[in-house]
Amino acid sequence: MRKKVSRREFLKMAGAGLAGASLLGAAGCGSGAAPSGSSGGGMWKQFSGMTLSFISENTAPTSAIAANLTPFKNLTGIDVSISQLELTAVQQKVALDFGSRTGQYPIVYADPYNIMVPLHDGLADLKQFINDDSLPSVPKGLDDFIPTQLDAAGRFQNTLLALPYDCPTIIWCYRSDLFDKYHDKMKGDLGFDPAPSEKVTWEQYYQMSRWFNDNAKEVAYGTGHQAKQFTSLTDDFANVLWAYGGDFFENGDKVGRLGAVDPGPSTLDKPEAIRAATFYKKLMDIAHPGSTSWDWNDLGEAFGAGELAMCPCWHEFAGAWWIPGGLENKVWFSPLPTGPARSANHYGGTGIGVNKWASEDEQKAAWLFVVWATSPEAQLMDLKSSVGGGTPTRNSVYELHQVKKNEKTPTEMPNILTAPAVRKAWEPQNIGLRPKTPSWNQCDAVIYTNLSQMLAGAKSPEEAMRDAKRGVDQTTKGVPSAV
Amino acid sequence: MQSEATKYSGGERTGRWIWSFEGRMMLPALVILAAISILPLLYIIWMSFSNVTLLGGAGITSRWVGLGNWARMFSDGTVWSGWLTMVMYFVATVGLEMILGIAIALLIHEVVWGKNLAMSLILIPMFVAPVIVGLLGRFMVNSTYGLYSWVLSSTGIFTGNILGGKVSAFVAVVLMDVWEWAPLIALITLAGLVSIQPQVLEAARVDGANYLARLRHIVFPSISGIVIVALLIRSMDALRYFDIIWQVTGGGPANATKIIPLRLYETAFRFLHLGYAATIGLVMLAVSILVANLFTAILRQRGLAG
Repeated sequence: MRKKVSRREFLKMAGAGLAGASLLGAAGCGSGAAPSGSSGGGMWKQFSGMTLSFISENTAPTSAIAANLTPFKNLTGIDVSISQLELTAVQQKVALDFGSRTGQYPIVYADPYNIMVPLHDGLADLKQFINDDSLPSVPKGLDDFIPTQLDAAGRFQNTLLALPYDCPTIIWCYRSDLFDKYHDKMKGDLGFDPAPSEKVTWEQYYQMSRWFNDNAKEVAYGTGHQAKQFTSLTDDFANVLWAYGGDFFENGDKVGRLGAVDPGPSTLDKPEAIRAATFYKKLMDIAHPGSTSWDWNDLGEAFGAGELAMCPCWHEFAGAWWIPGGLENKVWFSPLPTGPARSANHYGGTGIGVNKWASEDEQKAAWLFVVWATSPEAQLMDLKSSVGGGTPTRNSVYELHQVKKNEKTPTEMPNILTAPAVRKAWEPQNIGLRPKTPSWNQCDAVIYTNLSQMLAGAKSPEEAMRDAKRGVDQTTKGVPSAV
Repeated sequence: MQSEATKYSGGERTGRWIWSFEGRMMLPALVILAAISILPLLYIIWMSFSNVTLLGGAGITSRWVGLGNWARMFSDGTVWSGWLTMVMYFVATVGLEMILGIAIALLIHEVVWGKNLAMSLILIPMFVAPVIVGLLGRFMVNSTYGLYSWVLSSTGIFTGNILGGKVSAFVAVVLMDVWEWAPLIALITLAGLVSIQPQVLEAARVDGANYLARLRHIVFPSISGIVIVALLIRSMDALRYFDIIWQVTGGGPANATKIIPLRLYETAFRFLHLGYAATIGLVMLAVSILVANLFTAILRQRGLAG
């Protein structure tokens, strides 16, 4: 008979020294050993032979996990079949799975805005697994996750529905070679120091974009944006909205961090929001004309192809740009410019959760995967992955010597070059969090449709914001609409 | 003595036929067909009178709202706007496909050598899945590396962003659909052209009728029936068009390409309001039936349908 060691007993035995040892151990992933700092041994093998399905957006971290599932298989004996799809397809399949209560996908990529909150009753509260002595604990505890990310990607009101898994954040990505080359001339022409930082204002960003349009032959345009009539447009606009002191709802910070079923009336018609929309329209008028048909992938490709001097873009594109013959050693990163209120950097991270409609054993087995996939070892593996990989959601990984070393060039982990910028972006005063409310998908469509109409000249910024407010208020009251 | 065909024809046909040997043999298949088509239809009709949603993730929840969804739909400006875009899209795609398809068929019909090869090449787009056509089209008009974008801007024909402008994006998705489906019209029309007696055309030529006169008085009247069939097939397809637009523009910019099937999809699977989506879907079904009946009536008028 297998002797069970409870989580608490194990932690008592292990003591505080384990934390330090685990940091060293994080480098040695891939052996099939239990994640360091977690309860270990037989707990991991109790569902050996099971096969689980994991449905995920086709993101770099999942590609990295999919490319190296052997350590998890060795650790647990569980096979994981991963379906990677475009985000709207993931949302649709998860909604139908929850709707039919079949539990076809025990492990769910729980995007907080599209999946976790709109379908919150279909996800298990992870606290039940954390408090279950028969299951491994979260290595290094929940406190190791970056606090804003744990709240934004994991919590909904008083439940914990997911553990932070990836953390794409919109930051200022720029061509360092061009800024080095033109720094003095720009400074002379524009009358301010153009070195990118969160101290530069959005108005100065606009002037710099225009300067590049007129003076730099190396690039077609100064700036480009992900302004297709799609969720990418809301994401891009939100940076400016928050920077100008506007928000989607009255208690934007709370609704963004912990979520709300009823977020209250929209504040998109406030003067700050209209000023933000007016500036955004002005900025888009001088941006690369392709911007209005680009989503984040198109923007990443355009920047990587050398079309732009700078852009606000998800930081996880860094690895794709940093290639020999591409933008290696020619690109650098900063938090986004500041507006009248602050520098706001849109966090778009996601957690992974457990399907409540799966069987009890499947749920527990899924928890093993969630713990493993968000462990420091797996995150380090992600970072090193040859198929891309994401950046860590845990503080301890950023503290590792080999990770810190790679924050500077030359680097073997191009994504981690963004670390100084994103760490600053994730500070509570700088992070930008979309509202977490069940009807967000419809609100999002209302907002980006009105913004797209504004960019096409069909509506003024005032009209677009007032129509958006009206549509969002109807939506949060539960009124169905085709948008 | 009555033949089997006459025996089961006329008003009493259905009742008797179902209990005949053939009817009894087909009954299980008919029951299954009814189960997979009639029951879902009844369910969708019920859904259109209820507030059915997947929001929450606790399974499907529903609340009877009577005519609420129907009243809302008829007063929903976005639905009307979707139908308007749909009509423009329908006229542009089906119209261009008919003109180009018939023109291609007439050209191929005149080709003496290599006709089969030409037809095979022209038919290729038709065998590509619409979603792939969308991905390919999006790639070709991409403002960063798209071949068409590059050619158009290099020649000065169009220097803007194809998918960024309302008109150019609309034209782009129309042309992608036309590229894929004009060959189908060409194929069907060619089948009609082949059936025209060569002696009739030869006699007209001997009588001094030029090409246009032969087209007007012999060719078009001869192929009109089959062209209407082609029109019917494409019209049914165009009404449920989705893949290419979804891949290329997602309905933008500024809703310029947001036809009604896209709104239906978003309402059902992004916003998770299945009841309201059922209402929109039923109207789409009614319009499809109306269009199909219109073409069938025309065919019947011409004695080409029973």
